[in-house]
Amino acid sequence: MSGETHEATFEKLVRPHFDRLYRLAFRLTGRKAEAEDLFQELLIRAFGKLDELVSISEPGPWLSRVMYNLFIDEQRRFARRRMHVVDEGFLSGEGLAGFAGDEDPERDQHRLEKLQQLDAALRQLSDEHRIIVLLHDTEGYKLSEIHELMNIPVGTVKSRLHRARARLREILSENGTFF
Amino acid sequence: MHTQDTDARSDSRDQEILALLKDYPMADASTGFYDQALARATHEGTRRQRNRWIMTGFGSALAAGVVLWLLGGFFLTAPDLPAPDKSIPGIAMTLEEPHTVNLVFASANALDDATLTVTLPDGVELAGFPGQREISWQTSLVEGRNYLPLELIALTPTGGEVLARLEHDNRGRTFRLRVIVS
Repeated sequence: MSGETHEATFEKLVRPHFDRLYRLAFRLTGRKAEAEDLFQELLIRAFGKLDELVSISEPGPWLSRVMYNLFIDEQRRFARRRMHVVDEGFLSGEGLAGFAGDEDPERDQHRLEKLQQLDAALRQLSDEHRIIVLLHDTEGYKLSEIHELMNIPVGTVKSRLHRARARLREILSENGTFF
Repeated sequence: MHTQDTDARSDSRDQEILALLKDYPMADASTGFYDQALARATHEGTRRQRNRWIMTGFGSALAAGVVLWLLGGFFLTAPDLPAPDKSIPGIAMTLEEPHTVNLVFASANALDDATLTVTLPDGVELAGFPGQREISWQTSLVEGRNYLPLELIALTPTGGEVLARLEHDNRGRTFRLRVIVS
């Protein structure tokens, strides 16, 4: 780290991964405000571990794992807090505001409606199923990347993905308007 | 034939779900967020190394208003008397617009297993807790400053007082925050 400040070293290590980390944060939390908070907390923690970070050959997966663990820790705390409150929907559908259509308004509307139904169906999945299906089928993570991120065997990732898709199919089929 | 039709329909449905998942959109980060987050991380990370806090999760943005309450040794000995009106800090909110207020508890001692209860006036809600007037959770405070970001939403123009009650070892203290809605 000689020759440059800690801040500059830190930025050089983490900035190339910002987009991917923010996307992960959004897929984990489902809300922009919470994604930004999670991203922020990750950077704070990572800066505190700069000595460790500089010795890691691939900071991206390391940062992703720290973020995932922060999210899980927070979920546990949040679950304890929630013992006092009513259940609520988790995803806000906020991402749908960023839906970019093409030039056919009718087709766009139809597509948006389907995405809204998908959004509602995703809310009904368990966290572990929702996260795996979003990381794999939306973000394009490989099974091995999810295994490293969540620290579960590849076989478990596969079976959870299979069950998550099946549940999603079931929910969307139950909703008579979809198919 | 029937089975083939069913299989074909099922395949097509699966393909459609996968195509939708691929297009499932997300909200972009706020403009300038990455730079701000980086600046906060280096500043906050340094501070936390001296004074680690574990009160709440994600840390949250500190850009919004901050209300500082001093616990000091006072927390453990003072009678739980309401503060005179002039000493109550206040925030101004716009109707139906989320407003983050960062409550800062400066504690002279580390406190494990404290209970924090936030009580909201009618017409003010805590984001994520719709319809709840009182929200409690177990927490720990470290010596020094502990942040609690609360995202409040005023649903009526009434306003009122938010009460944050901190209890530890059968002792407690209530802090008051006046909310004015315009």
